[in-house]
Amino acid sequence: MEQAGHLVVAGFPLALDRRYHVGTHMWVLLSEPGQARIGMDPLGIETSGTLAELSFVPVGTELIAGRPFGQLEAAKFVGPLVSPVSGIVLAVNDAAAIDAGLTARDPYGAGWLIEVSLSDAAGELPALLADPDEITTWFVAKIADYRRMGVIAQ
Amino acid sequence: MAEPLRVIDFGCASPLRSQTLWHAIGYGVSAGAPATLSFTRPAAPYVCIGYHRGIEEVDHDYCRANGLPVFRRMVGGGPVYLDAGQLFFQVCLPARALPAARWQALSVLLEPAVTAFRVVGVPADLADDLEICVGDRKICGHGAGQIEDAVVLCGNLIERFDHERASRVLAMADPDQRDQTLALMRRFVAATPVDPVLFQASMISAYAEALGLAAVPGELTGTERSAVAELDERFASAGWLLGPDRPAPAAGAGPCARQVKVRAGVWTFAATCDGAKVAASVVRGTVEQVRLRAGGLNGSTLGAERALTGVPLRSVAQVLAGFGDPGRRFAAAFATADPGRL
Repeated sequence: MEQAGHLVVAGFPLALDRRYHVGTHMWVLLSEPGQARIGMDPLGIETSGTLAELSFVPVGTELIAGRPFGQLEAAKFVGPLVSPVSGIVLAVNDAAAIDAGLTARDPYGAGWLIEVSLSDAAGELPALLADPDEITTWFVAKIADYRRMGVIAQ
Repeated sequence: MAEPLRVIDFGCASPLRSQTLWHAIGYGVSAGAPATLSFTRPAAPYVCIGYHRGIEEVDHDYCRANGLPVFRRMVGGGPVYLDAGQLFFQVCLPARALPAARWQALSVLLEPAVTAFRVVGVPADLADDLEICVGDRKICGHGAGQIEDAVVLCGNLIERFDHERASRVLAMADPDQRDQTLALMRRFVAATPVDPVLFQASMISAYAEALGLAAVPGELTGTERSAVAELDERFASAGWLLGPDRPAPAAGAGPCARQVKVRAGVWTFAATCDGAKVAASVVRGTVEQVRLRAGGLNGSTLGAERALTGVPLRSVAQVLAGFGDPGRRFAAAFATADPGRL
């Protein structure tokens, strides 16, 4: 079932009410002025393998765009969760750290990862995809790419 | 001309150094050192735990009593026992040289190892779950991780495997689970005692060819030697051994089963609920062996165990519904097992 502002593209849910960093498959949802919630989109999750573990830097940590805010383990591969924005970590999702499957089951809702106070919103947000048409076009193209490479099932 | 694949054979190294040497390469490759394939063999046995795993999964009393140090690595997977019967390899590449999709990156890093096993006469396959197997037996333990801007995959040639010790170092309070775990390890984890020198040579050829690189002998850079010293200190510290901060389970969260994974799809668990104790082994979703202990079954424990053997894990509650109140308590204990947490 589609929610307002949500699509299902080739079986993958896609929320159009937020911004996307195309290199990392992270979404950024602006909440209060200067603050944002960050999570991972379903394609990023699917191409990681079954999520086993998530861990985050402590609240209060200063983040730099392009650097890790935590670690993700899937298929015995520990890799960084890369921040799409700079700022200060305001909150981390303990529920996802306890049960990484929550992020796979509800990537746009209860499976969010961290909340941040943005330090360079004006400089960094324009680099994220925000237009629903552009987001959809990118998402469709990525699914096609991953299917061609055999990373996700046909 | 092909870029170099630096090859470093560290030979026998202390338990600590058998970890820190290749972690240091991760920092080196991230800083610009060439892609590297390295080898090392621990000079003494020890236990190593994956980056995220709880330190309570290791039986520290046993390890202390047997002189087995415990270290935490920066790559994934569970607690494992390592000794001189295992030759470890590590391949380390800049992250940008690998597909961004981790599953695909793992395939790229594991497939040359499969080729190398085959060259030395081991009919290995890369299973769908990305484990290197012969038939249904895992023959190579692996883990991977990203260290700054480098990705490293480590694995092993198991020349001899001490199944007894490999299961004994794991914390398991339930003796039935311990027995079941050992039995599954013997069945699903196998050594492939080939000539390690030939294996090493075939690994070098396989990785150089698959990655399009030219193998050249090398050594650690100055940066990497400095990283070794830092890592020696870090890995020996109590804080590092504890692992990353993990939140406590929410208040009111139910008990969790003690679960031990033997290989993908093969695991044991032990759980207790209202005095009903369960220890079971699960192979690809089916209960293969089960031990039940509780009062109130009026001698029908054996019957319940028989009824559960061969049953899909998801159907256990249905079967136990025919065993009254004790059956319900056993079903509640079974319900704490979660293959998603393996």
